[in-house]
Amino acid sequence: MNKKELIKNSPLRVLNPDLNGGGVSQRMGLVMARAGLGKTAILVQIAIDSLLRGNRVLHVSIGQSFEKTKIWYDDVFSHFVTTYALENAALIQQDILRNRFVMTFKESGFNRAKLEERLNDLIYQNIFRPNYLVVDGLDFTKAGREELQNMRELMEAMDMHIWFSAVSHSDDAYACPEGVSSPCNEVLELFDTVIMLRPEQSDACMALDIVKDTTGSIESNKSLHLDTATLMLKK
Amino acid sequence: MKKDLTKIRNIGISAHIDSGKTTLTERILYYTQRIHAIHEVRGKDGVGAKMDSMELERERGITIQSAATYCFWKGHEINIIDTPGHVDFTIEVERALRVLDGAVLILCSVGGVQSQSITVNRQMTRYKVPRIAFINKCDRTGANPDRVIQQIRDKLGLNAVALQIPIGLESNLQGVVDLIIMKAVYFEGDNGDIIREAEIPADMVDQANAKREELIDAVSMFSDELMEAALEGTPTEEMIRDAVRLGTLSLQFAPVLMGSAYKNKGIQLLLDAVNEFLPAPRDIENVALDLGNNETEVILKSDPDAPFISLAFKLEDGRYGQLTYLRIYQGKLEKGDTIVNSRTGKKVKVGRLVRMHSDEMEEIEETVAGSIVALFGIDCASGDTFTSSDVSYSMSSMHVPAPVISLAIIPKDNKAQINMSKALNRFTKEDPTFKTFVDEETNETIVSGMGELHLEVYIERMKREYSAEVEIGPPQVAYRETITRQADFNYTHRKQSGGSGQYGRVGGFIEPLETGEYEFVDKIVGGSIPREFISSCDKGFRASLKKGSIAGFPVTGVRLTINDGASHAVDSSDIAFQLAAIGAFKEGFAKAGPVLMEPIMKVAVEGPTEFQGPVMGSLNQRRGIIIGTFEEGDYTVVEAEVPLSDMFGYSTVLRSLTQGKAEFTMEFASYKIVPKHVSDEIVKEAQKKHKK
Repeated sequence: MNKKELIKNSPLRVLNPDLNGGGVSQRMGLVMARAGLGKTAILVQIAIDSLLRGNRVLHVSIGQSFEKTKIWYDDVFSHFVTTYALENAALIQQDILRNRFVMTFKESGFNRAKLEERLNDLIYQNIFRPNYLVVDGLDFTKAGREELQNMRELMEAMDMHIWFSAVSHSDDAYACPEGVSSPCNEVLELFDTVIMLRPEQSDACMALDIVKDTTGSIESNKSLHLDTATLMLKK
Repeated sequence: MKKDLTKIRNIGISAHIDSGKTTLTERILYYTQRIHAIHEVRGKDGVGAKMDSMELERERGITIQSAATYCFWKGHEINIIDTPGHVDFTIEVERALRVLDGAVLILCSVGGVQSQSITVNRQMTRYKVPRIAFINKCDRTGANPDRVIQQIRDKLGLNAVALQIPIGLESNLQGVVDLIIMKAVYFEGDNGDIIREAEIPADMVDQANAKREELIDAVSMFSDELMEAALEGTPTEEMIRDAVRLGTLSLQFAPVLMGSAYKNKGIQLLLDAVNEFLPAPRDIENVALDLGNNETEVILKSDPDAPFISLAFKLEDGRYGQLTYLRIYQGKLEKGDTIVNSRTGKKVKVGRLVRMHSDEMEEIEETVAGSIVALFGIDCASGDTFTSSDVSYSMSSMHVPAPVISLAIIPKDNKAQINMSKALNRFTKEDPTFKTFVDEETNETIVSGMGELHLEVYIERMKREYSAEVEIGPPQVAYRETITRQADFNYTHRKQSGGSGQYGRVGGFIEPLETGEYEFVDKIVGGSIPREFISSCDKGFRASLKKGSIAGFPVTGVRLTINDGASHAVDSSDIAFQLAAIGAFKEGFAKAGPVLMEPIMKVAVEGPTEFQGPVMGSLNQRRGIIIGTFEEGDYTVVEAEVPLSDMFGYSTVLRSLTQGKAEFTMEFASYKIVPKHVSDEIVKEAQKKHKK
């Protein structure tokens, strides 16, 4: 399979059906799950998919080491290569490397102001200008509504896509009408698209519920699953 | 002679360049009566500081090698390692830290926490070294100890609390208030020898009370006794001291002292603090690896009666011959003992045992666990473990950073040539970060090390100590050539000029090889090339690998398959097929899209976050791909992949870009294709060189 076919056949087309990267120009997305189910894996797949489509992705990793983040990318990419028998993998990977930028922050050290300062460093010197932002590991219980509102403004100002991951607490599930537990239920309206991982006992895969989507790009009858062995998305 | 191990202190003194380490050490030696006059580092008397024994050190005013010395203070034996402050000499600092039990971190009261302090502090944390901070130069204009303490907390992440407050600052510095005994301490006499304790000046009493409160608050968590006493309002000096010591030893507390070495203020109190708060050898847990038992970790006991274990942490080739510095971790060592080098298994007899005081020495009869001594005439490398013959332990190896820069050196004359090799031999033994080899192609001697200053100092030392004058070549990069696609070849070598002729035809194809340097595949069927000449083809191809046809760099990453050929009953020979293969290679290589490859280095620049922007800019300018950034408190690491050829001179650029506050490490990552415009330049260069 070549790159084009991979993009076309990728399960991620469910979330972003437009092949040419057009369609939705901005989106603030959220991947929710309990701890340890595979949020990072999903984010990295979203990131790699958008890299393949020619975007420049800034991956912000909070509380996780730089090395670990890189290993995630290498792992997910090699799964792509084997699952889809991707041609020219080495060259594509080099392209990915060139268009990906990883920033890691300590848990206490992340906020919009800091991120913006770093971004401006990159943009003014013409080093890197991302149009896709992936934020992994932001603690929603601490970040609060204001910070997310700030991030949304940043997204609008810079014309980007942003995907977040958040840990949902299992104990008080269904605390709001959409079935979203704290701490995400309070900030739900800030997001355009929200997907949630729900473990299924019967199968070797987990279902991804599309809790919310206001972009109108997701067809309502489509659904996604996550293979529990490889943590790869499936249609 | 039975030594009291609780009264030994092995300490290091380290800090940022020009914070006054050497001056401070000089004062310590004076007050402990090891020396009888004070010489300044850059003094007018021309003697220079005692610890800076190398001529070059005295001239430049910087300490290059860490000299070891010892002294006695109030019944305690203090072994001091003076460590260099410059970034390029971190190996010396790291080696010293490995064998220390405690350290004094000197900070300038004006400059505060500077980059090297951060580096050294990180190294100390790595080796779990308890530390005391000393804020020096309180006599200088702009001195602000409070700000420095805040920086120690913020930038070094240490739980630092002052044990003293200064009486007067800048030129008005008179002494300090000791917050434990609640007395003012003045240093009088020409050299500050006379210590006078007095009541705290009336206008400072409130401040002193508040600061004492703060100190007790901070250390009471280490002692329940103090906590209770503090609640009742009756803490004693003894309780506070114990709590400070416990906190310091557990690495959770850093007492801060202050003064001015140059103005002779506060040094005696610092020595008291070393005795009181820094650990004795027994307080520190050292581990060795048991080679006889699958390298399991063994905890060493600072017991003179246990088997002898020591680490050679420094070699020096002085005017007395080769000197090996040993830190003894366990057991005791006497003159005439036989010890074993656990790396080589060789037994050596201890001939002379000495204690070093910079470059003078004192002969001793025996020594016990916890001390630092020097031995003569022992052949070993630094980092070797010496033990008694009944155990086979090895001290864990020290972290040795890989060299980052290399230069070609060319001796000016024959005499210099001989002296140069002598010097290189010695330097490489002394310093594991300094490496040398001879480039087979150019026949030049290449030296590599930790930075430009590092190499510069060795080249300077070669000149001064060995009178070996050398010329320095420009730094060079090892380029390679490879191909990008498959191509066929079919080459006939024919020579008919009297005597027996040469004939051979080699046909096949060349293709890129993803991993590995070279592969030879023989697919000849039907004997078109006779069996005995197949290996000749291989030989011919291998010979071709040495020089590619783009710019004469070695060729790698090719697979050659032969599947056709022809021979002649009389004229075919080994040499004929070798030459045919060389011709075939040339033909195939030219058609296979040959490209130049260059080494790409993984570069990590570590520095204060405020310099992140300029650092990234500088990497970007150097054709670097920035992979990411990593924030750690006020420190940020920028990781990038940069071609080696663009990294030369970077240490200097980085230093000036970040006021010397950032450091970089680089290691080889992979070979990648050189972009067209760059490779054209390289080819032009290479052609010029050939014409010469």
